[in-house]
Amino acid sequence: MLARKMKRDLTVEEQLARGPMDLPFLMLTLMLTGIGLIMMFSASYASALYDASVGYNPTYYIARQALFAVGGVAVLYLVSKINYQWFRVLSVLVLAGAIVALLLVFTPLGFGKATVGAQRWVKIGPINFQPSEIAKVGVILFFAARLSKRDTEKKKKFDKRKLSGRILSFLDGIGFLELIPYGAILGVIAVLMLMEPHMSGTILILVAGASILFAAGIKFYWFIIGGAGVAAALAFVITQTDYMAYRIQIWLDPWSDPLIGGFQTIQSLYAVGSGGLLGLGLGKSRQKFLYLPEPENDYVFSIVCEELGYLGAAIVLILFALLIIRGYWIAVHARDRFGALMVVGITTQIAVQVFLNIAVITNMIPVTGISLPFFSYGGTALLIQLAEMGVILSVSRQIPAPKQG
Amino acid sequence: MSAPRKTTEHQKGDHRGNRTILWRTIALMIIFGVLAFIPLLITLFNIQIRDHDYYEQLAISQQTRDVAVEANRGTIFDRNGNTLAMSATVYRIIVSPRDLIQVQENYAQKVDKAKAGTGKMPTTPEPTNELVAQGLAEILGMDAESIAKRLERDYSAYEVLTNQAEEVVADQVRAFISENALSNSIVITPTSKRYYPNNALACQVIGFVNSNGGAYGMEALYDEELSGETGRVVIAKNGNGTEMLSRYENYYDATDGDNLTLTIDSTIQYYCERILEKGIETFEVQNGGFAIAMDPNTGAILAWANSPSYDLNSPSTISDPTVKAELEALAEEVGSDSEEYLQALGQAQLDQWRNKAINDTYEPGSTFKSMVLSAALEEGVVSESDTFTCTGSVTVAGYTIHCSRRTGHGTQTLAEAVANSCNPAFIEIGQRLGAEKFYDYLEDFGFTELTGIDLQGESDSYIWSREFFTSEIGISSLATASFGQRFNVTPIQLITAAASVINGGHLMQPYVMQSITDAEGNVVVSNEPTEVRQVISEETSQIAREILEKVVDGGTGKNAYQAGYRIGGKTGSSETLENDHTIVSFLGFAPADDPQVIVLLAYDNPKPKAEGSSYTSQGWYISGGQMAAPMAGELLADILDYLGVEKQYTEAELSGADTAVPGVVGLSAADAQTRLEKANFTVRTVGTGEVVTDQLPASGASIPGGSQVVLYLGEEKPKDLVAVPDLTGKTPEAARTALQELGLYIRVSGATGYYTSSTVAVSQSIAAGTGVERGTVVDVQFMDNNGEGAGWGF
Repeated sequence: MLARKMKRDLTVEEQLARGPMDLPFLMLTLMLTGIGLIMMFSASYASALYDASVGYNPTYYIARQALFAVGGVAVLYLVSKINYQWFRVLSVLVLAGAIVALLLVFTPLGFGKATVGAQRWVKIGPINFQPSEIAKVGVILFFAARLSKRDTEKKKKFDKRKLSGRILSFLDGIGFLELIPYGAILGVIAVLMLMEPHMSGTILILVAGASILFAAGIKFYWFIIGGAGVAAALAFVITQTDYMAYRIQIWLDPWSDPLIGGFQTIQSLYAVGSGGLLGLGLGKSRQKFLYLPEPENDYVFSIVCEELGYLGAAIVLILFALLIIRGYWIAVHARDRFGALMVVGITTQIAVQVFLNIAVITNMIPVTGISLPFFSYGGTALLIQLAEMGVILSVSRQIPAPKQG
Repeated sequence: MSAPRKTTEHQKGDHRGNRTILWRTIALMIIFGVLAFIPLLITLFNIQIRDHDYYEQLAISQQTRDVAVEANRGTIFDRNGNTLAMSATVYRIIVSPRDLIQVQENYAQKVDKAKAGTGKMPTTPEPTNELVAQGLAEILGMDAESIAKRLERDYSAYEVLTNQAEEVVADQVRAFISENALSNSIVITPTSKRYYPNNALACQVIGFVNSNGGAYGMEALYDEELSGETGRVVIAKNGNGTEMLSRYENYYDATDGDNLTLTIDSTIQYYCERILEKGIETFEVQNGGFAIAMDPNTGAILAWANSPSYDLNSPSTISDPTVKAELEALAEEVGSDSEEYLQALGQAQLDQWRNKAINDTYEPGSTFKSMVLSAALEEGVVSESDTFTCTGSVTVAGYTIHCSRRTGHGTQTLAEAVANSCNPAFIEIGQRLGAEKFYDYLEDFGFTELTGIDLQGESDSYIWSREFFTSEIGISSLATASFGQRFNVTPIQLITAAASVINGGHLMQPYVMQSITDAEGNVVVSNEPTEVRQVISEETSQIAREILEKVVDGGTGKNAYQAGYRIGGKTGSSETLENDHTIVSFLGFAPADDPQVIVLLAYDNPKPKAEGSSYTSQGWYISGGQMAAPMAGELLADILDYLGVEKQYTEAELSGADTAVPGVVGLSAADAQTRLEKANFTVRTVGTGEVVTDQLPASGASIPGGSQVVLYLGEEKPKDLVAVPDLTGKTPEAARTALQELGLYIRVSGATGYYTSSTVAVSQSIAAGTGVERGTVVDVQFMDNNGEGAGWGF
């Protein structure tokens, strides 16, 4: 602390970076992380107890997750202390690194195909990680950084005497040209991730990217066009591939294939429905005893519903809603556009992830395999989520204090 | 978004951009922070609250394994606490081919490990299908091949080998399982089996059980009470089907079924069944019969017998030998798995299971005259001093109705008309009552309604409507109804009405269930006698009893006479719509002055020796008086004996009543003679001594009064056995002489009070040719087998 400069020696930006964190957001994050850990422990207890591959050790999952949570909170604090303007510089590196890592997935360094049927992981030295997680951060940082300077960019001049010039001018006028880099980045990442395949991750990155584009002021009709495009692609996939048609059939009636395709959904509904108003009590889930597959993972919220009932589930959802609202609140009050857009991207991505996960476990939408932030088992994911929260808190530190009088 | 300080061109654009970001961020906040959560909360509400029960039930049904704990079915007792039906624990032996495969795989794995040097060889033999099939076949006494075949159904986990293994057998199976380490693949579960210790006794009343519980009779009617509540053990299991910690278990104790005590008396029931069989054999009865005994004062059913009957322990086996032979012949002809045979078998089973005396109706015939008589007495349209003249026939509405005695009964008092069962007299009595009043009594005696007895399948009677009966065109109905023809009632209706005639006019609701007690012996339900209504007065009832006693005392029912017992009754011979098909019946009660029991005995369709003949091939005249009455008399005597009703001898009877022979050995011949004659015996001496050295029969032996006692004065009493002579067809006097010559004694029963030339011995208690000691008493049943005085309506 001796090295610590006196306040008067600080630049304005440095001073701002030492501002207070947004306490409500921090509290919500820590509460959700805590509740998530407890529920993940409860949910994973039985599946670990009966699993030879984890040595029948009921604390197998929680021990690891807790370690990552502690590390994650430390990272959160450290990241919040960083002056987020640094991320502008970092964004290009992160994005480039992510794309490289995504490519590495298809080299001998990648793995996952053999075990879970999707090539999503990369192993470099002792570290295993999902490049898609980095890509998510990369896209958010890069989009936010680039779009924050949107208004300050010089207007491009086109030679209206040439046809190509006129076309370019027209395309610029409707805002197409500025979308090209974003579209290209999203396209490359989406293609790479769909090759893994990693549908849910792709969706999240697309949504996060789109939310930043939206907030940055890209013309509304591009989202309609983009949305229509995605809808058309979805419709094509659903109608033209057996795999998706089957998923849709399972979605409409899980009992049409109760032992294979619909099994997980049915078991999830049993768990959710068993909960009733007050639930069976913490730790008293019955469905986690080898009925509901992987209760520690995507379906952890089913166990929350079963053990804590509608009341508990609603409280968790409200905490999530408050976190998300507070996130957007921070975005609205952010010191600059970069901070605002970055927070919008992260918040939207968390929100969409929560929505899709719970929609899946209640069979509102077809199964997509999206985990629940702070709850689902997965160390890297938790670490990155907490780091993202750190980013938001870092932005919150620079919110100018309301003017007195 | 800091507020702009200076307004420049550039900053204007910046300002607009900031506004866009602000509003769009707020839009995102509303969409993702608020709106997105609404469908989630609604969906969760629907699943967790609205459809909670549905999902919970489905979840619990997959999470738990229900093991039924069978309740012990209650016992059925007769009124004296004798067991009629009881349950005992037996065992169900189940093999699970699917689990056996698992056992075999585990065994193979162990062997592999042992070979690899990482484990011990299993100590049990290899659990092959052959080993299991062979072992179980030996224990269960089954065919090893058929078991082996069932073991091949490797998809199955539930192959029941037997449902009825006794404890000993189950123990052997348990030992077999542990010796060969077969647990899980062979399962033993306790179950229960119903035993009927008396086999066919009261079979149609008791009924039997099948896999769904009570199927027939009381077993079905009181199934709910008897069966108790099946208990459950709910065991939580995990997704692999493994049972979980015991704290998840829930026990719901089985509640044992209640016990049922019937009003049936096993002994009386046995008497009824015995007399039914005896009559059916003697009279060549083709369609069986029924016998109901009731306590007339309460309506409690003491016995309810139907023939044919069946063994409750194997209800599907056809017990009637004739039907069985027919079925076997059919099986030979069309094959035992043909539709035709199975249908015939099913019909035969239904026939033997049905309780004819309540499921079917019949024309009551002259037995119904008891009711007509009492109605007329009650209404005062006849008095005991009235006389009726019978010319042999009477014409009603253009129809000529004959009396059984074509020559007519002449002039008779009311009692004589009843004793003669005179149709013209009763037609007149019916007319005096009038159709309206007559119909009132039909209703009052309960013939137009169900008795409400607690037996299954009570049939409605088949009687004219009041409108028809009282109308101009129904006039002949009144005539035929007066002697009990042309309408159908159930036997239980008839006996219930008749009981009210003799019990002081109280129409009681008949019942079979005496009480229901729970497993601890607490009374749950106790049936009290229920009076439906008072039909006739106490006085009328008394007069009716006296008149009905005279039916037995010299009337058409005289064959029911039993010395020492005051029996009243009424005969009946019911015509049916078939030719040569008569139902002969007797409605009897005793003692006549204070009725303790009323019986209705009927034989359905004695076989005439030729078409149109009134006699059977054995020479029996087909009528209630000749067939049902003697049997009913014997039955009533047995029942009264059993009930301990003291005999009341008339003067005439007294001389013939059984008396103990006093011991006179050692006395002088003269003294002995005096003592014996005082005791109402005649004396014959053998030898020339002064002192009695021996006597026949020995001191204390009970022989009918008036019999001859032989005194031996020095002579040796012969010790050899004598052969009982054949007495059939002999008159009472001839029979007495024949026996006396051999030193045997006679005890007469049946129609002996009023000898006619046609009174002959019809049966004897000791078969002809049997060697017996001298001094033995032979019971001989006599019958007035004269056709006269019997016929249509009697």
